[in-house]
Amino acid sequence: MGDFIQIIAYGVITGSVYGLVAMGLGLMMGVMKFLNIAHGSFIVLSGYIAFWLSQLWGIDPFLSIPLVIIAMFLVGLLLYKLALSPLLKLPNVGARMDLSMLITFGLIYIMDNAMAMLWTPNIRSAVTSYSGESINLLGARFSIIGLCSLGIAVLTAVALYLLLSKTYFGKHVRAATQDAQAASLCGVNVHRTYLISCGIAIALAGVAGVIIVTSYSISPTGGLSWLLIAFVVMILAGEGNIYGILPAGIIVGLVESVSVLTVGIAFRQAAALIIFILILMFRPQGLFSKGE
Amino acid sequence: MIEIEHIDVFYGDLQALWDVSLNIGDGEIVTLVGSNGAGKSTIMHAISGILRPKTGSINYNGIRLERLPAHKIVDLGICLVPEGRKLFPQMSVLEHLEIGASRKAARKVKDDTIEWIYQLFPILKERAKQKGGTLSGGEQQMLAIARALMTLPKLLLLDEISLGLSPIAVQNIYQVINSINESRKLAIFMVEQDVTMALSLANRGYVIENGRILEQGDAKSLLSSSRVKEAYLGIAPTG
Repeated sequence: MGDFIQIIAYGVITGSVYGLVAMGLGLMMGVMKFLNIAHGSFIVLSGYIAFWLSQLWGIDPFLSIPLVIIAMFLVGLLLYKLALSPLLKLPNVGARMDLSMLITFGLIYIMDNAMAMLWTPNIRSAVTSYSGESINLLGARFSIIGLCSLGIAVLTAVALYLLLSKTYFGKHVRAATQDAQAASLCGVNVHRTYLISCGIAIALAGVAGVIIVTSYSISPTGGLSWLLIAFVVMILAGEGNIYGILPAGIIVGLVESVSVLTVGIAFRQAAALIIFILILMFRPQGLFSKGE
Repeated sequence: MIEIEHIDVFYGDLQALWDVSLNIGDGEIVTLVGSNGAGKSTIMHAISGILRPKTGSINYNGIRLERLPAHKIVDLGICLVPEGRKLFPQMSVLEHLEIGASRKAARKVKDDTIEWIYQLFPILKERAKQKGGTLSGGEQQMLAIARALMTLPKLLLLDEISLGLSPIAVQNIYQVINSINESRKLAIFMVEQDVTMALSLANRGYVIENGRILEQGDAKSLLSSSRVKEAYLGIAPTG
């Protein structure tokens, strides 16, 4: 029984990080149909920012989240202004998605190499005074950092939900997602809505980066493996279904941890990818999206 | 209130409008008559900022519109109800109305405007929580008009709002529009398939053919014009 709870706890905590990792990717894809291949590199970049803040100024990684959010939000605005907004002139959404992939693919090389120059290729992680500490609950051990990550993931998802459903900005985002031209005819400034959405998407990568540098570790080329996870989670939730991303992340986390118990740790990632393939084969619209 | 002077409009290299000039006065109902592909929607799109004219000017109370983006034009009080309604299928009726009230001037009086809309179209109040995609055709058209009215326009552009609706639904909608025109002095520029109905509602009309304005004048005189009779009303010229 204790083992079972432990596995579930592990799965939920890992899964919440996975959900957080996919949120920015899903937002950008859902709202603007930009497929940001460099999403993992933005996560790693924000991990380095948190790492620096903790190494140079001794700021606790979890407390540095607001700073990282602001920094990455600005990076997101730059990304939109410099690289992505010209794509909106393209006549169709398919071409926009294809070219956004190409552009952000190039960005991976620029970012990964720049980060290797700035922070060396060594693997880094932010260590806190409470790293490695844990509490016992229901016969299972929960690491403090894991619980904090779970809390932040849930908080972020709730904040995103409230932003999109309750505010004028959120309504503009959803209107522009469903019909950009109709939205502009209602007086919505679609370009500004996209600009801010892009900032938020990269800021979400920022939150994920902080969690990853504290509970895992980062290296300049580590972004791709996080991108892969983000893809699996986004497809599982269903493209454009931003609210389904955290639950989908937790499902992937649970499948991984259960597979560790049943088929062995070597197959952990394989299990997640098998779900990915099964979803693409049988429910390409995602688990939580209703069919067209 | 709005003066369009000598505009040429292109889709890529393809010219759709040639030297089109027209004007709409305060509180006027003006209609545009023409066959499919004559350029009626193109004029609507040029006014509302979706298309930019290559030459010519669009003057609205002294403000040049032809280089402004669509949302700025809504800010100035011109709103288009696009052909095919263009609702947001996943958003509720109430959310549509709220999005309509996005511009600052409309935001402040949002609740009052919603009350007014519910009086005009009581069915929308019943459907407030329903998603736009689940409404019937007539209800969708009411919502499209309501969403545009939420922007508190001074000039409302209506692009074939009767398309796919039952005659009774069309009659109801135009009754409401007529009453708003009278009570709020709202100017209306409309395109309709049913030429007789359009000309009987309007004060003035323009006839457009192959991207050029061919005729203009009083709605009544256009109704009796031989060109309109022959081409759109199916009445052969006599004598």
